[in-house]
Amino acid sequence: MSQDSQVSFEAIDNSESGDGGVEHGALLSRLCEAMFEEDKDQLASVKDKLLDAAGVDVLIDAVAVSANFYMMTRIADSTGTPLDAGTVEPSAEIRELVGVNSFTSRREAQK
Amino acid sequence: MQGFCMAAYSTELPIRPDLDQAHAEVASRWAKTGSWWSGVERLAIVEEVRHARDSAEIAPWESASEIEGIVSSDHLLPDAAIDAIWRITNHPGTLTAEWHASILGRGIHPEAYVEMVGVVAQANAVDRFADALNLDRVELPLPSSSEPDRTSDVSLQVTSHWVPTAQIKGPNVLKALSAVPFENETLSILSSAQYVRLGDLLSDLVSNQNSLSRLQVEVIAARTSKLNECFY
Repeated sequence: MSQDSQVSFEAIDNSESGDGGVEHGALLSRLCEAMFEEDKDQLASVKDKLLDAAGVDVLIDAVAVSANFYMMTRIADSTGTPLDAGTVEPSAEIRELVGVNSFTSRREAQK
Repeated sequence: MQGFCMAAYSTELPIRPDLDQAHAEVASRWAKTGSWWSGVERLAIVEEVRHARDSAEIAPWESASEIEGIVSSDHLLPDAAIDAIWRITNHPGTLTAEWHASILGRGIHPEAYVEMVGVVAQANAVDRFADALNLDRVELPLPSSSEPDRTSDVSLQVTSHWVPTAQIKGPNVLKALSAVPFENETLSILSSAQYVRLGDLLSDLVSNQNSLSRLQVEVIAARTSKLNECFY
């Protein structure tokens, strides 16, 4: 992570707002959306774009990362995993920016 | 990973050997006798995840086990497990403490629930990888024939989570499956190949992860988590 790069969180919120300072950020975000929607045409289209832009290794690794978080989210939300104490305040601004505070799954560690 | 596993995928795509091996290893672990579920039952859990994903969606408050024609009449798993598998698979962002309590109230032991969650979560990851790349899903091995111990660990406590956990240090998400160490090990196998080695999770925030920068990895992780409505 370069000290000179400006990174923001648009690509986490949606794929329409730009890369957020992350190379191929918007495309990667769109890949996540297509995997989530399970729309074959949408997924085929974004995979082709990502292949052209970044290559097959990036495509495979990106799919693997996204797949991993279908696991992690289910583990966290099925077990009532709370946000770690000590991360609640530091994450407040980011959580507001990306719009997660209204989730049913919001659980914060008891102090 | 111990021993040799057959390749998980037969494809011209250049899937990293460590990633392919991780999926093959995890599939073999599904077939093993667990702490609470037999190998046959654990594979039935995976099959039910696949069924839940491939079927027409039902609302989160609906019970798959009660809808005629959705689940086979001779299904092996308890109804409560079937319903939990469907809801965790398709609507993880809707789960509440009350819902969890209702599943336990229908006869699922708290630690059996944890083991089931582990298998459900792993199956979701492995199959979504295959589906997104148009690969055949990993073949399920033959199950182990031995019966599980089903012995509760008295050192476990319900403290920070809904589920009993071991007294271990580290991020809360790594404590979540600690009641069933075998599932925590499987989590580590998968995460190391698919995401970041768990030891580097917070200690190394700058190294590339295979073909992706760490920033790209975290954008994907966060976007996917938001889509799944996971606050954590």
